[in-house]
Amino acid sequence: MDDFTWGMVQIVGVHTILGLSAYVILLTGQVSMAQAGFVAIGAYVAGMLTVLAEWHIIPAMVTGGLAASVLACIVGFPALRIRGLMLVVATIAFGEFVRLFWFNFDYRIAKGDIVVGPEGGEGFKQIRFFPENGWTTQDVAVFVWVVAAIILATLWWMDRSRAGKVLRAVGEDEMAAQSVGINLTVVKVAAFTAGGFIAGIAGAIYAHYTTHIEHLNFDILMATFAIAYPILGGLANVWGTLFAAFFIQVIVIEVLRDLGDVRNLMFGALIILVMNFLPHGLFSAKVVRKLKEWMGIGKMSDA
Amino acid sequence: MKHQIMFVAAAALAFAGTQSAAVSADREVHVAGFGAKSGVVRSFGVNTEAVMRAAAEKINNEGGIKLGDGTKGKVVVTFYDDRCKAEEGISVVRRIASGKAVVAIGPTCSNVAEPLFGVLQKRAGDASDTGLQFPIFTDTAIKGGLAKISEWAFRNVPNESQMYQSLFKWVKKENPGFKSVFGGVEEDFAHSRFTWYKVMETRAQEAGFKVLGRVKWLLNDTNFTTQVRQMKKAKADVIAISSHPFTLCGVLKEMKRQRVKYKQLIGLTSSSSLETLRGCSKQAKGIIIPTSFAPVTAAAKEAAAGAAKFNGSADLHSAAAWENMFILKGVIEKTGVMAKGDTVQADRRKIRDGLAALKSTGGLIGGIQRTKEGEAVKPYVYVHAQGKEWKILHDPRK
Repeated sequence: MDDFTWGMVQIVGVHTILGLSAYVILLTGQVSMAQAGFVAIGAYVAGMLTVLAEWHIIPAMVTGGLAASVLACIVGFPALRIRGLMLVVATIAFGEFVRLFWFNFDYRIAKGDIVVGPEGGEGFKQIRFFPENGWTTQDVAVFVWVVAAIILATLWWMDRSRAGKVLRAVGEDEMAAQSVGINLTVVKVAAFTAGGFIAGIAGAIYAHYTTHIEHLNFDILMATFAIAYPILGGLANVWGTLFAAFFIQVIVIEVLRDLGDVRNLMFGALIILVMNFLPHGLFSAKVVRKLKEWMGIGKMSDA
Repeated sequence: MKHQIMFVAAAALAFAGTQSAAVSADREVHVAGFGAKSGVVRSFGVNTEAVMRAAAEKINNEGGIKLGDGTKGKVVVTFYDDRCKAEEGISVVRRIASGKAVVAIGPTCSNVAEPLFGVLQKRAGDASDTGLQFPIFTDTAIKGGLAKISEWAFRNVPNESQMYQSLFKWVKKENPGFKSVFGGVEEDFAHSRFTWYKVMETRAQEAGFKVLGRVKWLLNDTNFTTQVRQMKKAKADVIAISSHPFTLCGVLKEMKRQRVKYKQLIGLTSSSSLETLRGCSKQAKGIIIPTSFAPVTAAAKEAAAGAAKFNGSADLHSAAAWENMFILKGVIEKTGVMAKGDTVQADRRKIRDGLAALKSTGGLIGGIQRTKEGEAVKPYVYVHAQGKEWKILHDPRK
């Protein structure tokens, strides 16, 4: 595989993680447009830790994820009081708040003969942990996918555990879930916190493979992509999100690059078509069950 | 016998000629272009591609590029759309670098150039740095000081700091009665923001103007009522607007509607384009912009005609792509690029070293000086909008 293909592997990996951050929240029936804000927090925090404090990428990434999860937990509480369209509006507002915070955030220090750190609207440049530490594109791609695999495996396992059933129960019918003793506050806030952590991880990796971040990277378009992946792929399991990230990033954006603006139209049209004709996504429980039967794996127990 | 020998010799020569021609036809120098061909800044990428294709056609019509072994190679241009998105710009360059291209020209947007240059190897030949080793020769992304990010990055964009320093001084000299400046800035676009805060504002003060304040708007804004009201209230002699054609026209129309009075309008380099004239030529009348391109020489006129043939227009930004193509032709010929399948990486290194060694190059409106950091110091003129065209108001070199 050449450098470009490994680069694509990185991109699909990061977008899969981004999609999974929204997937956890969507399981509880909440639509969060705040994911871009959480990604921004993870990106800036991890970037500052590797560039200014010279941390290794792994602790920096985890810290970025934790910082994003703390904010997500705080956002999760007001989200209990609102739902539906109002939650969408509130989370968009939060995303914009975070973006504008970084737009105005300036903290630079001299490092050798250059000054580094976030510089408000000018962005945060020289986040070069990977190339400066001898990581090749292939190494970075493997790293991204190790992280993505851990998150995929954790969510896949969670889906099969009681926790997953609880999240889905809340997503299906809050009243019914509450009536059987499920604590809605804990479940919703936990979903937001987990989603925030995963988004923060995605942001930390994003900052390091692009080497430069600025507030505009974390706009409403990124938030739209985050929820588009699980919506397109379906919420039956985590693989739908992975498939959707691959399909959008590789087919729609890269293979059809020459189509220019038509790609944007296709992206919108695709979401409309899927929501109308496949409301449970490309990998709905029914499709997954049929696929399993066809592959001879047996009936799906929890779809 | 003599005739037979001559026939054989002629046949051998003819055969050698066809062989040479065949080799020449087989040898191609792949030059990739990339920039925004979608979204609000689409016209920039469209123009760059048109200019690159026109330059390639001219080079090929004149016999192509002389390669290291003496044969001639054809220039082949491919162009990719990066949508002015950092992530896509990086992906596009990885795609280009995984192919046959020996160099790339682009990108359009500074917010793509900055991360992209960060992905390149910082110091050429530094084995501990695994950054991409691929030469990029930027034509459009104009935000100040970006080429120093990597020794594989080179730019042929105007030096705005110098241009506005000279322009504000000239305006002051021509109009000693002008005392104040009020600014308007497209706040969320890397180039326009940088140019106002780091260039226009300070250069105006240095020239003896009092900066009364500034108003801000965003690239996607369509309503400028509040900002223009503040502009009107300031009653400044000079209004300097650092924004791209899309919002510049919106602001100028609103200024007309609110009957804002001023003595002089100054605009951003990127707005000295056809888009501004198409969008608001009436309202832009008299606006002064420094630019490093105007069709004032035979070469510049040829570039403009070539761009038009490929459905684009040569302007401040895209015209640089023409210069880049011819600068690269010179570098390729001087450094002995082979353009063979197994010499791609070596050819890229030769081009990088060749570009780094340049002290000066030719340009469409005059000679260009090159700096150690890989930047250009280009000649420029002041143009002002008059009807449906940009006319030269002053040439600081005279």
